[in-house]
Amino acid sequence: MSKKKKCVAMLLAGGQGSRLMPLTESIAKPAVPFGSRYRIIDFPLSNCLNSGIDTVGVLTQYQPLELNDYLGTGDPWDMNLRYGGLHVLPPYQGSSGAKWFKGTANAIYQNIRFIRRYNPEYVLILSGDHIYKMDYDMMLQEHIHNQADCTIAVIDVPLEEASRFGIMNTDRSGRILEFEEKPAHPKSTEASMGVYIFSTEKLISYLEKDEADPDSSNDFGKDVIPAMLGDGCRMFAYLYKGYWRDVGTLTSYWAANMDAIGMSPDEKEPLVLNDSGWRIYYRHNNIPPQYIGEKAEIENALIGDGCEVFGRVEHSVIFGDVKIEEGAVVKDSVIMTGSVIQKGAHVEYAILDEGAQIGAGAKVRGDRNKQQLTVVARDAAVEPGAVMPLGSVVKR
Amino acid sequence: MDLAGIVFSDTYGTELDDLLLKRTLAAIPFGGRYRLIDFALSNLVNTGVQNIGLIVKQNYQSLMGHVRSGDEWDLNRKNGGLRILPPFSTDGNSDEVYRNRLQGLEANMSYLRNLEEDYVLLTGCNHVLNVDYSLMLDFHKRSGARITALYANKPVDPEEGRNLSWMTVKDGGEVLGFVSGQEKPSPDARLSLNTYIMGRKDLLDVLEKAVLAHKKSFRHDVLEAMVESGDSRVMAFGTDERVLFVDTVSGYLKSSLLLLDPDIRCGLFRNEDRPVITKVKDSPPTHYGKDARVSNSLIADGTIIDGTVRNSVIFRGVKIAAGAVVENCVVMQDSTVSEGVRLNYAILDKQVFIEPGRMLSGYLTRPFMLERRSRI
Repeated sequence: MSKKKKCVAMLLAGGQGSRLMPLTESIAKPAVPFGSRYRIIDFPLSNCLNSGIDTVGVLTQYQPLELNDYLGTGDPWDMNLRYGGLHVLPPYQGSSGAKWFKGTANAIYQNIRFIRRYNPEYVLILSGDHIYKMDYDMMLQEHIHNQADCTIAVIDVPLEEASRFGIMNTDRSGRILEFEEKPAHPKSTEASMGVYIFSTEKLISYLEKDEADPDSSNDFGKDVIPAMLGDGCRMFAYLYKGYWRDVGTLTSYWAANMDAIGMSPDEKEPLVLNDSGWRIYYRHNNIPPQYIGEKAEIENALIGDGCEVFGRVEHSVIFGDVKIEEGAVVKDSVIMTGSVIQKGAHVEYAILDEGAQIGAGAKVRGDRNKQQLTVVARDAAVEPGAVMPLGSVVKR
Repeated sequence: MDLAGIVFSDTYGTELDDLLLKRTLAAIPFGGRYRLIDFALSNLVNTGVQNIGLIVKQNYQSLMGHVRSGDEWDLNRKNGGLRILPPFSTDGNSDEVYRNRLQGLEANMSYLRNLEEDYVLLTGCNHVLNVDYSLMLDFHKRSGARITALYANKPVDPEEGRNLSWMTVKDGGEVLGFVSGQEKPSPDARLSLNTYIMGRKDLLDVLEKAVLAHKKSFRHDVLEAMVESGDSRVMAFGTDERVLFVDTVSGYLKSSLLLLDPDIRCGLFRNEDRPVITKVKDSPPTHYGKDARVSNSLIADGTIIDGTVRNSVIFRGVKIAAGAVVENCVVMQDSTVSEGVRLNYAILDKQVFIEPGRMLSGYLTRPFMLERRSRI
């Protein structure tokens, strides 16, 4: 067995995900459920497995309990290995005291020893807040071909949205000339996906430099990448084509879930979950198949195992073990595991977190004009007959 | 837990030929995402049994692929766990493997000898239930029985099996006799589940004697002989759990459709302490298209439905195209039902492909059975 890994992935999973509140009240953003049976982190982890990367360090910090349980020994992603595999890397106490991860770069800096253990030639940096299916090995091949110090995955975004992203300005060969974080007047439409490949020694030397700089905010996008560019490192953009969505806000999270149901045929890059060539792996629960009752009506929907559906479901993503009683209507919504929607209730343009209880006849609707979803927090209950204000947040 | 399990994966007297073409009884798919073995293994594991021997005889490849190392049932253990016991030849040139349970046990006496548990539970895979065997073990110990046989107090549909074995039982549980056949022999007869608990040492003794006497059948030559010899320590224990039988093709369809009954379904699958465990498949969620019409059906994951499904059980990865109507059917994994097809009382084995516009119908007592990978 080789005592060296060619490429090790480091997955930044410590972010708080404050724009996804209340979904991230008690869980880290990468652990947020997605697409009727997955969690966000299943996408980068399955991408790793499908790309032949079997060693992943998951850097956790914010609310890690549920994420740790979910990751376990990494067996759902075939990462329960004796050498390599999945490792959860929380902040730790050293001889000079305990330190939280100060930023994305600092989180990797504090785990240089983990990287060194596998002595990889390349380090892949990932984040846990995007839905996409990407072959990292193709990117790695390009990185090697370019003899690059760093390769940054980019996606072509519409010009009018470009100012929301980190934009790469490149020459013909793909070499990055300039990096602008959220530019007011973008010069290109190649947006960073937050996926980086570094040649290991370059990465470590820049992380050490960055750490020595007291003025640095220890962030890849703000500090490390600009410093490398300033020094004339060989940095290339890798253009990814395919479905990619940032699910950092409630509306983008909702939209990506709706994409999972099925996108219009004229859409260039649809999200296809039913893809035996690029499976998304996840941790399973032992629940029986769903039961669809006599009077149920379901159209355009994803429905999870163990559901009991007696009402109407239209254009929605329903997770496992959800009960939708007779006469209830669920439309354009995301309903997470274990929720109950009682008789005659109406749920529309809403997100129900796990274990939400909607009483009989209650109305839970979002405000479409303001693009403001109504969100019912984990285990929160809406009284029978209650009419929630459009676009409200129902807390426990 | 002072109990080890022996599971017989093969059929000894069922009429399931079409479903058994390329698999052993235990590997028959059931209930949308399970195989019959899942119920036997889950019951043992939920009871706390940690040592399980699975006796296989023929066509066990799909079964091995399903149970693998027993990980899903937490049976991949350093000590004990799941042991698959395939047939082997002892004299080096015999090409015949055992034909019944007794020979299956005899061939695996060294496995039985090496166990540490004092009691052994023997069971098969021709019935489906969710049961806690520890009550039966308690009864076995308390009653001082030599053998305790399990029977169903509440069989869901006792008319279905072809080769049912009945026991006449005295108050207090003593077995007076065995009768085979479809007809209930007397009002107080009990439906045997061919599931027994015995002391391990006693079982080994019985097997050693049976080998010497060239006996052939566990039930006839051991159990019935014991009762007939006046041994009053053959006892019976009844379970109140609902039992579904899978002995014939029509019984298979009936038992499958009985899962649509909420009481039966919940009793089987919704016991919080006793989940039915199966191998996971990483299928995507079930997808309903805009013209899907589904009612009173059990639908598994990875399935894509654009047509109409009523009163049916649909397994993983099935495709039902727009305009197709599927009623009273069992459609197994990865089968495809094309546009405009009408199916009524049919069983589609795995990977069946029905071309557009075909109409196939059987009846509950005589389902239209399509074997694996067939194309119509």
